[in-house]
Amino acid sequence: MKWKAATMRSFTTLHSWVGLCAGFALFVAFYAGAITVFQGPLQAWAAPQDGSSYSLADAQQLLDGVLAQHPEAREHVGMTFPGYELAEPTAYWQDRHGNWLYATPGHLAGSPQRPGASLPELVNELHYTLGLPSVGTWLMGLVSLLYGIALVSGVVIHLPRLAKNLFALRPGPNLKRYWQDVHNVIGVLSLPFHMMFAVTGALLCLLAVLMLALNPLVYGGKLMANVGPAMDTAPMLQKADEAQPLTSLASWSTRSIEVARARGVADFVPGYLKLAHAGDAHAVVEITGTSPRALGAGVVAFDATSGALLAAQLPGSRDANHAALAAVYALHYGDYGNVAVQWLYFLLGLGGAFLFYSGNLLWIESRRRRGQSAQSRPSMLTARATVGVCIGVCVAVSLAFIAAQLLPALGWNADAGERWACFLGWAVCVTWAAWRAPLLAAQELLWLAAIVTTLIPVAHGIATGWWVWRSAAGGHGALAAIDLVALAMAVGFASLARAAARRGRSGVSDNVWALPSS
Amino acid sequence: MWTRVAAGVVPGFFLAAGVLGLACWSLPGPWQATIVPGLVAFPPLWVGLVCVSLRFANGVRAWAWLSGLAVLALGLLWLLEASGGVR
Repeated sequence: MKWKAATMRSFTTLHSWVGLCAGFALFVAFYAGAITVFQGPLQAWAAPQDGSSYSLADAQQLLDGVLAQHPEAREHVGMTFPGYELAEPTAYWQDRHGNWLYATPGHLAGSPQRPGASLPELVNELHYTLGLPSVGTWLMGLVSLLYGIALVSGVVIHLPRLAKNLFALRPGPNLKRYWQDVHNVIGVLSLPFHMMFAVTGALLCLLAVLMLALNPLVYGGKLMANVGPAMDTAPMLQKADEAQPLTSLASWSTRSIEVARARGVADFVPGYLKLAHAGDAHAVVEITGTSPRALGAGVVAFDATSGALLAAQLPGSRDANHAALAAVYALHYGDYGNVAVQWLYFLLGLGGAFLFYSGNLLWIESRRRRGQSAQSRPSMLTARATVGVCIGVCVAVSLAFIAAQLLPALGWNADAGERWACFLGWAVCVTWAAWRAPLLAAQELLWLAAIVTTLIPVAHGIATGWWVWRSAAGGHGALAAIDLVALAMAVGFASLARAAARRGRSGVSDNVWALPSS
Repeated sequence: MWTRVAAGVVPGFFLAAGVLGLACWSLPGPWQATIVPGLVAFPPLWVGLVCVSLRFANGVRAWAWLSGLAVLALGLLWLLEASGGVR
């Protein structure tokens, strides 16, 4: 099928503009998202565990204490099992004003501050909201849709040459062609991964909006009443208004493993529970658990007063709704398979960030005015913004890592300090890039990124004594890996800085990267 | 060109909704069984229509075709629902 040249030109225009609009946000989302893949190890890196372990009896005490002290928690309470995200179990519920409160063994009063380190949550927020409160999630949903459009149009443009040029990487004097080759090869080889993120990202950010919009159009206004059973596992019960005590946490845990095994999931590990109407005769508990060889978590629901099985949605035997929902979450978070899948997500995530960065550079390059030293204003602006926002966020994330180590050691509030370090650092980088010649700004910010990223393992060593060699020798592979990846990233930033310097020395004067002549 | 893209965004949205509805309601079994797969399918369907809109010769045609198809799809869906042809 041969499409008209005019149609192809339209697709090229659509691709380059949609890509430019979404590219900045996507760079941040992919850079932060690649790190978020390792949220668990990052939690341990940022808040060293004291080595104490907790049993189901501790969790039972926590649950009993929270239910006794907080009437709101009796309506709905969630609790993680010991060792799920943190070593200690955590209970969480909403107070009368709808604010979430968290309690841990020894801190039953409940606090709005999540237990554990705040760094993983900050990186995660950058990933799905760019750090923007309230509108950030919707904005990222919109960006995901634009990303989908850019992917489809990108494939359409590249399709005629796809087979021939798939592995073509042509370094040489034609830098534009080289960047185009890199952009294409990363885009094509990681296309399934990107398609999946465009769909799951749009859905996770826009689910509520989509349901509101499609409810009257498609579902005759009956969606909201039916979405609960489609997404939750336990049936919704009205309170019986009759007091009845709960059975034990240990019995729920054991029963959930038994039920899962009976349905062919041999390695079910309870992760967290949701308990509704505690103390009432119609109390219901949902146990969500993971199994290493399944895509997505399984859920088992019991009558929490008798222990009778109410419903189960387990890998291999769940309905289309629950299978689709579990697949969306698991594919997006990369928490299926083993550590190899997570490394793949990390590398493809960084590759994705590079894809968007190179896309912006190609946008600039295709608007280059040859033979003229004055380049167009939009080109200059895009160059400055690309350097400031993209390299800036790399600096900002590394600053937050350093703050996460040093501030608690100095007795300061880590959560607030990390945010200041991150967003202030980012703002300074953007301002710097707005003011300097783009190539100089790129070089300087890349060197800055290399330096602050090198300081991550140093800050970790100073603050906790866990220098990378000690972590490695002590068998803390994940801690050592974070420090080593930081060093590898620093080397990467430094080599990009040197590449930028080489480009400056080449002395081309008719593009946005030309150095000021003074 | 942007008129065509707008056709993919606005009437394309309604057409995607209509197609999704027809698929979900006409599959065997209760409609509730396809809620989540339907929601998952919607973004790619809509994005696909935005891209397809560029295949039209001009903006007027894109708007006319996509709007017409959207009215047809949603009308058919509402007719089926009202007549009890689907459950």
